[in-house]
Amino acid sequence: MGEEKRLSKKKNILFSIIAVVLLCILLFPLYWALITSLKTEQEIFRNPPTFYPHILNTKSYAAQVETGDFNMFRSFANSFLISMGATLIAVLLAVPASYGIAKYHFRARKALLLSFLVTQMLPVSVLLTPMFIMFKNMHVYNTWVAAVLADATIGIPFSVLILKNYFASIPKDLEEAAYLDGCNKFSAFVRILIPIAKPGVMVCAIFSFLYAWGDLAYGMTFILDQEKRPITAGIFNFMGQYGTKWSYLTAFAVVTIIPVALIFIFMQKYIVSGMTSGAVKG
Amino acid sequence: MARLKKFFRYENVGMLFVLPAFLYMLVFVGYPIVHNIILSFQDVNAGNLVKGTRNFILFENYLELFKDSVFTSSLWNTVRFTVSCLVFQFIAGFALALFFSKPFSFAKPVRGILLVPWMIPITVTALMFKLLFATDIGIINFLLRSLHLIEKNIEWLTTPGTAMFALICANVWIGIPFNMILISTGLTTIPKELYESASIDGAGKVQTFWKITLPLLKPTIESVLILGFIYTFKVYDLVYVMTSGGPVNATHMLSTYSYKLSFEMFKYSKGSAVANVLLVILLFVGVLYIKATTEGEDA
Repeated sequence: MGEEKRLSKKKNILFSIIAVVLLCILLFPLYWALITSLKTEQEIFRNPPTFYPHILNTKSYAAQVETGDFNMFRSFANSFLISMGATLIAVLLAVPASYGIAKYHFRARKALLLSFLVTQMLPVSVLLTPMFIMFKNMHVYNTWVAAVLADATIGIPFSVLILKNYFASIPKDLEEAAYLDGCNKFSAFVRILIPIAKPGVMVCAIFSFLYAWGDLAYGMTFILDQEKRPITAGIFNFMGQYGTKWSYLTAFAVVTIIPVALIFIFMQKYIVSGMTSGAVKG
Repeated sequence: MARLKKFFRYENVGMLFVLPAFLYMLVFVGYPIVHNIILSFQDVNAGNLVKGTRNFILFENYLELFKDSVFTSSLWNTVRFTVSCLVFQFIAGFALALFFSKPFSFAKPVRGILLVPWMIPITVTALMFKLLFATDIGIINFLLRSLHLIEKNIEWLTTPGTAMFALICANVWIGIPFNMILISTGLTTIPKELYESASIDGAGKVQTFWKITLPLLKPTIESVLILGFIYTFKVYDLVYVMTSGGPVNATHMLSTYSYKLSFEMFKYSKGSAVANVLLVILLFVGVLYIKATTEGEDA
C-alpha cells in the first residue's frame, strides 16, 4: 500500500470541520434524547426549548429503581439474559456449521448455504404465529426461553455466512500440519482453526447479541408478563401507559443504549467488518 | 455402522459439523414457514389456534385480502415507504461515502461514529423520532416555527401524509450508515491508478465520477440497493412503535397489518396470508440478490 495522497493543510482543517458538523447533525436525535432524560418535565415543555438541562434532573433514572412504578433495571436484566442465551446458541451452532461449509465439499453444501442466506431475508411476520403455537405446545410460552429460542434464529444464519469466509481463508496446509502432529478432524478444528478464526467468532457474537438486544416482535409476542419482558417491550408498554412523560421515556431509551454504546466503544473494528460482510439486519 | 463410517469419510464429514445448526433452523424456521402456509389455507381463530380442529378453506383468505382496502393500502404503503427510503438513504449514504473517502485526519474516526444509528435498537430510534416530531414539544415544529414556515404546530404523527413522512425520516436515519459503509468499502476496491491516469488524460471530477467511479461500483450499488430493499420492505418495529399503523390504518405496512390481524384481531389465518404475500415478494427480490452476488463466485 502506497502512501495516500495528502491534502493541503487548509483543506484538511476545512474537511474536518465539515465532518464534525455532519456528525452533530446526524447524531442530534441521540443528544436530544439524552438531555431530555435529564430535564424536569416542566423544562421539557418550555418554549423556546432549552438545548441543555438548566436544572439537572436525575429523578427519572432514580424513580425507576425506588418507586417500582416501572422497574427498567428488571427489564434490562431480562434483555441481558435473553440476548446472552441467544448469542450462546448462535455461536455454538454456527461455528462448527460454518467450518463444515467452508472446508468440506459435500453434496448438499450449496443448497445449505442458500437456505441460510434465505432465512436471513425472512420477515418476522411469517414466523410469529407458528412459533407462538409451537412455544405454547412446548410449554415455554411466557418464559424467557421462548425469546431466546426465537432470537437465536436471527443470529445463526448471519454467523454462518460471516464465519464461512473466515474459515475459508485459513490455508489448508495449516490443517494438514495438525494432522501430521496427530490431530484428527475434530481436534484440529477445536485446537487450530477456532483460535485462528477468533476475530470472526467475535463478530458473530457481537451481532447475535445486538440482534437479540434490539428485538421487539419476539419478546413482545412470546412473553406476556411485563416483569419477564425484555427492555424494548418495556419501552413500548411504557409509551402506551405514560405517553407524554418524556423524561421517563427518554431515560428508558438511554439505559437501553448503554450496552450498544459499550460494544461500539470497545469493539468498533468488529462492527465494520460485520456490516460489510453482507449483513442484513433481522 | 461400517457403511455409515464410510459415508462420513472424506468430504461428507462436513455434514456432521453443519447438522446441529441445520436441525435447529429446520425446527424453528423451516417448520414454521410450512406451518404458516398451511395456516393461511385454514380458518383459524383464537378458539382453535392451539387445540381443536381447523377447517381448510383454501384460497378464501387470500381472495378476501384483495377485497380488503386496508390490505391493498398496506401493500401500496410498503412499496411507497421502501422506495422513498431507498432513494434518500442511498443518495445521502453515497455522498457521505465519497466525502469520507478523502484522506483528511478526521475521516476515519468520524465515519466510525456515524455507524451508531444503525446499531441502536429500533424501538429506541422510534421513540427518539416520536420525540422530535412531537406536536407541542417537538424540536421540528419549533424549527419550522422559528423559520416562519408554519404558524400552527403540525400534528405530524396523527395526520396521514405527515405520519408517513416521519416514518421515512426515521428509517432513512437508520439506513444512511448502512449505505455509507458498504459504498465506502466498494470505493476502496477501485484502483487508485485509474484516477491518476484519468487526471493525466485531463478528465474533470464530474467526468471521472460518471466514467470511472459509478461503473466500477456497479456490483456494490446493486447489492446495497437489493439488501436495502429487503431490509426496508419487512419494516416492522419502527412502524409499530411510532404509529402502530395509524392514524386510521393510514401507515399500515404488510408486516404491521399482519401482526394486527393475528395478535390484535385474532384472525390468525388472514394474518398468515398477509405474511405470505410479504414473503413471496421478499423471496423474489432475494433470488435476484443471490443471482447478482454469486455470479462467478464459488459460493
